[in-house]
Amino acid sequence: METFIKVTLQLAGGFGTTLALFFLTLLFAIPLALLFAVFAGSSIKPLKYLMRAFIYIIRGTPLLLQLMIVVYLPGIAFNAPLTKWQIFGGNVATSYFCGALFAFVVNYACYFAEIFRGGIENIPKGQYEACAVLGMTRSQTFFRVILLQVIRNILAPMSNEVVTLVKDTALARTVSVVEIFFAASELLRVQFIIWPLFYTGVFYLGFSALVTLLFNMAEKKLSKYWK
Amino acid sequence: MKKRFIAALAASMLTLSALAGCAGGTETASDSDYEYIKNNGKMVIGITEYQPMNYYDENGTLTGFDTEFAQAVCEKLGIQAEFQIIDWDTKETELKSSNIDCIWNGLTVTEERRGNMDFTTPYLANKQCVVINSADADKYTDIASLSSALMSAESGSAGETAIQSATELASVSYTASASQADALLALNAGNYDAIVIDYTMAKASCGQGDYSNLMIVENIPMASELYAIGFRTGSDMTGHVNEVIKEMVADGSLKAIADKYELTELYEEALNQ
Repeated sequence: METFIKVTLQLAGGFGTTLALFFLTLLFAIPLALLFAVFAGSSIKPLKYLMRAFIYIIRGTPLLLQLMIVVYLPGIAFNAPLTKWQIFGGNVATSYFCGALFAFVVNYACYFAEIFRGGIENIPKGQYEACAVLGMTRSQTFFRVILLQVIRNILAPMSNEVVTLVKDTALARTVSVVEIFFAASELLRVQFIIWPLFYTGVFYLGFSALVTLLFNMAEKKLSKYWK
Repeated sequence: MKKRFIAALAASMLTLSALAGCAGGTETASDSDYEYIKNNGKMVIGITEYQPMNYYDENGTLTGFDTEFAQAVCEKLGIQAEFQIIDWDTKETELKSSNIDCIWNGLTVTEERRGNMDFTTPYLANKQCVVINSADADKYTDIASLSSALMSAESGSAGETAIQSATELASVSYTASASQADALLALNAGNYDAIVIDYTMAKASCGQGDYSNLMIVENIPMASELYAIGFRTGSDMTGHVNEVIKEMVADGSLKAIADKYELTELYEEALNQ
């Protein structure tokens, strides 16, 4: 029982890092994705194609590779090791966490951007025409009429991505971010206890359940206004 | 509907915690591990690719000190040696679940590990050493010069213990790496100033390929440990393999393999301990 509590506390500490990575990724990726979506649907051709090419590259390569690029490439190719950047104050753990966060934000922003773009393009043209007839400005049209419908449209695919993000955070362990999985494998390597590795599943499941419940609630709330 | 969902959720959580609980229980080896392996006709040996112990040569054949050593031992026992690449993090699980029969891959003997496996007679010394970028050769000459360096080692490894137990290194900024290979990669990228890894691995990698700019700082002594083969707790294979090792030490065949991989020094150090 004593070990169980000790292990739980140690894993909870790691899970704190997992959650920090999760929430900060969402916080930065969602606005960035909105920007990406606008660029990808832009009428300025070069911007549109550049954005789509970037999204293609990010979506076409593994997040694991992107993590390695962020953490190792600055030092190898540009002689500017990530851990020695002034903004991180020479703190290795902080630099790795920020590096991983950057990779997660860019990666998820690209996936979110495609969902947002789909959500916006799915709104029938008639809605814009109706707004124009009523004399609404472009920003009034977007914020008062279109946006809520977009949110409803993208809720289901977004919940999919967000639940995936919960589990993808485990990849950060490959670049020395001590999240829950790293904490569990450390217990295994140092104290040779195996079960914490499986026990991490309880944390992920619990948190995914919470995320799923929140999305279901949001969906129910929004569906009140239609049908 | 909502209630049912919550009930299902609770049930799945319970199952999972039960599973986790089971995995925590201790397993006992079957009556005779030796008979079990003999009947299979082969011994499944858990390895990771790691020069100079187990690695693929330019023809794609698995070779290395541990590879040749294991093949020689298995031949004497009249069984086949089958090498299985494993994830080093889960080697204890692989061994307990009988996916593999032993871990034979530069495995360091530690007191903590004794709770999870039985060790054979040690056959090589596992010296730890400090590796740096050659550009810093004038900066890091002895252990005192490392006192404010950014350092790393594999989490849970002998190198980590060496850093944490050295009083001169009490104020270094230490970060654990997921593996020795990761530590080398990060050192090469300049993310660390120095790392502590196994001497065998350092010797095989420094100056090779993209690591041509890495070097061992020879005059920094680090704690030395021993390599042995790990079998399941209570396995009678340990005794049988120990017999063969004794023979191979006596007839010089083990030394011949050590010579071939330039490990003579570490082999003799292990014999003397």
